[in-house]
Amino acid sequence: MDKFSRRDFIKTSGIVAGGLLLLPCCRYTEQPYRFFSPEEADCIIALSEQIIPHDKYPGATDAGVIYYIDRQLSSVFHYDQQTYRLGIESMQLACNDMHKKLFQDLPVSAQIMVMEEMEAGNLNKYNWPGGNLSSFFNLVLKHTMQAFYGSPIHGGNKDYMSFEMLQIDYPLVIGQNRYNS
Amino acid sequence: MNKKRVNAVVIGAGAGGGIVAKELAVNGLSVVLFERGKWPVYDEHPNDELISQRTEVLGSPFGPDHEKNPRVVVEADGRRHIVTPIAGGYSNNAACVGSGTVSYGAMAWRFMKEDFQLKTIYGPVEGSTLEDWPITYDDLEPFYEKAEWEIGVSGDDASNPFAPHRRKKQPMPPFEYNHEGTVIYNAAKRLGLHPFPIPMLRNSVRYNQRPACIRNRMCCGFACPVDAKNGTQNTVIPIALKTGNCEVRTQCMIAEIVINEKGKAEGVNYFDEKNKGHFQPADIVVVSGGAIETARLLLNSKSKLFPRGAGNNYDWVGRNLQGHAYTGAFGLFDYDILDLTGPGATVALCDFNHHNPGMVGGGLLANEFNRLPYLYTNIRPPGSARWGIDHKKFQYEMYRRTSQVVGPIQEMPAFDSRVTVDDNVKDFWGLPVARLSGSRHPLDYENCRFLSAKAEEILKEAGAYHTWQSVGGRGLSGGQHQAGTARMGNDKKTSVVNRFGQMHEIDNLFIADGSLMVNNGGFNPALTIMALGYWVGGYIANNFSSTKFRTG
Repeated sequence: MDKFSRRDFIKTSGIVAGGLLLLPCCRYTEQPYRFFSPEEADCIIALSEQIIPHDKYPGATDAGVIYYIDRQLSSVFHYDQQTYRLGIESMQLACNDMHKKLFQDLPVSAQIMVMEEMEAGNLNKYNWPGGNLSSFFNLVLKHTMQAFYGSPIHGGNKDYMSFEMLQIDYPLVIGQNRYNS
Repeated sequence: MNKKRVNAVVIGAGAGGGIVAKELAVNGLSVVLFERGKWPVYDEHPNDELISQRTEVLGSPFGPDHEKNPRVVVEADGRRHIVTPIAGGYSNNAACVGSGTVSYGAMAWRFMKEDFQLKTIYGPVEGSTLEDWPITYDDLEPFYEKAEWEIGVSGDDASNPFAPHRRKKQPMPPFEYNHEGTVIYNAAKRLGLHPFPIPMLRNSVRYNQRPACIRNRMCCGFACPVDAKNGTQNTVIPIALKTGNCEVRTQCMIAEIVINEKGKAEGVNYFDEKNKGHFQPADIVVVSGGAIETARLLLNSKSKLFPRGAGNNYDWVGRNLQGHAYTGAFGLFDYDILDLTGPGATVALCDFNHHNPGMVGGGLLANEFNRLPYLYTNIRPPGSARWGIDHKKFQYEMYRRTSQVVGPIQEMPAFDSRVTVDDNVKDFWGLPVARLSGSRHPLDYENCRFLSAKAEEILKEAGAYHTWQSVGGRGLSGGQHQAGTARMGNDKKTSVVNRFGQMHEIDNLFIADGSLMVNNGGFNPALTIMALGYWVGGYIANNFSSTKFRTG
């Protein structure tokens, strides 16, 4: 009779299992974030894009800043989760009061105005217990800079985009990056 | 579980402890060298600014673990914060074999003669515990020499008229200036100053069977990819191991020094890498944990004769915590002044370390180590955009056009700038953590203003089209250059140890790290800590055989 080896069996059953199981899984992979909801992510993407905007070089969105922030909030920066959650909520409240829109749906000039108000500490009435929009803005600012200018292994700075912009060599290879004074 | 008794336990395998362990081991003493971290591995974090020992955003590549080692910081208004190594104000020093000497910028300064006699030269300073050291530069000179030759220093004092006398040259020639260094050198010369190449604990030529420096861009804050940076982990500790007399026990957290009813150290209680408790008996104990952890361990080691911690009956342990307020200026140039050769800092001058009119002490000035991209996002002239298109433009237009001249100010020791322990906050092992409080002496800020103005003058002379000062010197002290918390002195009522680093009232307990320093100089302290390691280690080795420090 036909030889049906153990290896063939594993191969075939793998395909079957994959066919059966992968399809329903794919529906869930549309949500790429560990911490943010899609709406929250859109807000932070818009905010970080105005912190490091696209010009002749890529900006925060191109570099995947959102993935850095999302990943660090799920691990090292877990203590900042509450600040992000309440900060986004309160920022959207302010945008709704001023413009009847979500931050990410505002024109760039209006986004920048909101950011300037946040930075200056002029949105005190949106404070929440233990936090305010000014310190939230500074936190996102700091995380955006880390994401854009830090190593790609942490989720941002896709393909060393910022290193290319600064014309610094990457990656450093042991013993290979020699500089002459 | 009890371990086999040894002659000496040395706690902390950094600049001080690594050297003491070697001095004792080569002189025939059996030694256990404890280290709370691991052996450093280059490959884990070679190219990552966010996990570097200089910019600890997501972690400290060479320790300590940020989840297990909290500290408490007390602000001027009394508010307390729990901080970790990746949060501001922690004052981290690396926890690994070699400690800071693995990833430091590696400047190799000798303190000047004056630094050991500040009170005699300048008189008392109100509000400061300023004091002369119980030893002089001449006492320490042979030990500086030993550090330079055994660890390995590149440099040449010939063009520094302020250098203290030396019997022997540094073993390797100095490094060449990078582009920025040349520009600053020429400007300083035109101003009548005396610039010269920075002495470095790095190989300018092959030395000790290890290669010469490749001028790697990412140096300060990182381990060296070709092992051309010299620390205790690749010099004296391997020598100690080769004798067969020394065992390095890594990932061990010391809980306390056990002091018996007669007031002698019996050994240490510690947790091993599996967090299991042990007692290690020893004839003598040497503490080299850095100024903060050394003070914490002494304070956590309570006994009948020393109910407030080992050697703390006069309340001097943990006092006089100093570091270095960094101060200087930035300048913008209309051409690429940086070539990004590593480590960046190449030229220095000591014209302002001492004898400045109306001042006590001062500090060196040097061009700065390479600023990596994230660090550079915070460097902007006052009033500049912190974000947006202008911030980004500045980043890519000015990254190579910004020069910085900067230096560490000689801090005035302040009695209330201190390390205590917080009984309400415990680390992973249940030990009370270090609590940092107090602030710098007001004179530090004045001195910083002076030095920053000098730095700005040099940058202007160098051709910067725009300059601004960054003035340090306020708030809590500490940092990587932490010092002063177990002061050496002749009077047991106003110091912690004698001139040999020996506890005034516990003969077989020694300190060998920055804690000993009466003041911190206007210099990076690594080479002085190393010299003190040789000084204390040599004294122990020479005097151990007669009594093992256990009489009286």
